[in-house]
Amino acid sequence: MNGPDPIARLRVVAAGLRAPVYAERRLDLPFDLVWAVVADLERELPHLIPFVREFRVPAGDSERKRATAVDALGVRGPFEVRLAPGWCLMQSRLVTMGMAAVPDGTGTRLAVCGAVRPALLGPVQRGYRRLLGERRARAFFRAVERRAALR
Amino acid sequence: MDDDARPWDVAAPLVRAAQRGDALAMDDLLGLVTPYVTRLCAPIAPADTADAVQESLLAVFRGLRGLRDPLAFYGWVRAVTVREAVRVARRTAGETPADPEQITRLRDLLPAAAEAAGAGTELTTEVRDLLARLPVRHRTVLVLRDLEGLDERTMAELLDIPEGTVKSRLSRARSSFRKAWTR
Repeated sequence: MNGPDPIARLRVVAAGLRAPVYAERRLDLPFDLVWAVVADLERELPHLIPFVREFRVPAGDSERKRATAVDALGVRGPFEVRLAPGWCLMQSRLVTMGMAAVPDGTGTRLAVCGAVRPALLGPVQRGYRRLLGERRARAFFRAVERRAALR
Repeated sequence: MDDDARPWDVAAPLVRAAQRGDALAMDDLLGLVTPYVTRLCAPIAPADTADAVQESLLAVFRGLRGLRDPLAFYGWVRAVTVREAVRVARRTAGETPADPEQITRLRDLLPAAAEAAGAGTELTTEVRDLLARLPVRHRTVLVLRDLEGLDERTMAELLDIPEGTVKSRLSRARSSFRKAWTR
């Protein structure tokens, strides 16, 4: 049998990271449209994640890339990015973010996961989960729907 | 990757990085260990293999930071996986006794299973069918003994049962095959 689908895989990574943000939602939009938004990191990520002002990704369709993020305060940070259909995992020195999607009938099941790198900010994660985790995830799903509607 | 590299040597640096919260290493480790977890779960929880694999992987990655020796990764994964696979199989398994006709068809289980394990391939459909008809406790000891090559003491520790119980379970599981041979 094949390995876990991208969403099951993200659940496992989120469990390993003890990620404060992990949520799944079924969007009433086709997979190709949803993934076109999510995978277009350079153009869409600043719309999907509030603290990302710019995200620069080198051209090409390699599955492993090094991108540069500029946050809301103008601070630059390198990101390692892994991108494949239905799967995106990104990591900087400070944060990790994952997105996964699978077709679900005529719609799409989308999952998002976010964590800070434990060695630096581990203790913050538990409080963050309660206060902001769910709100962040809801805002992310709404943003994907909004950006998809513009395409 | 070096073809001669032992799996635990390949896994160890990924385990260390994953324990430090490196998500990319975690993902690589997940890719590395999923076939092994699947190979253990398929015969123990044949009706719910996908569930058993997912539950095992979740338990492995949740517990990863507590693993002290990265070189012990595979042994630890085996213990966690067997526990989860047995739990999932018991949750849903109708523990129906083996159908003698099925057993007759599948009397080659032990050599075939050992060969499949040696070649690192999936079990044949016939082997799976037979295992699916055995009670979970019998399936588990056969898998650990004949696929994983564990001795009785290690199995007893892993399953948290006395060594004598392992022996009697093995003997009962195998007697099904002996019966089949005489038919």
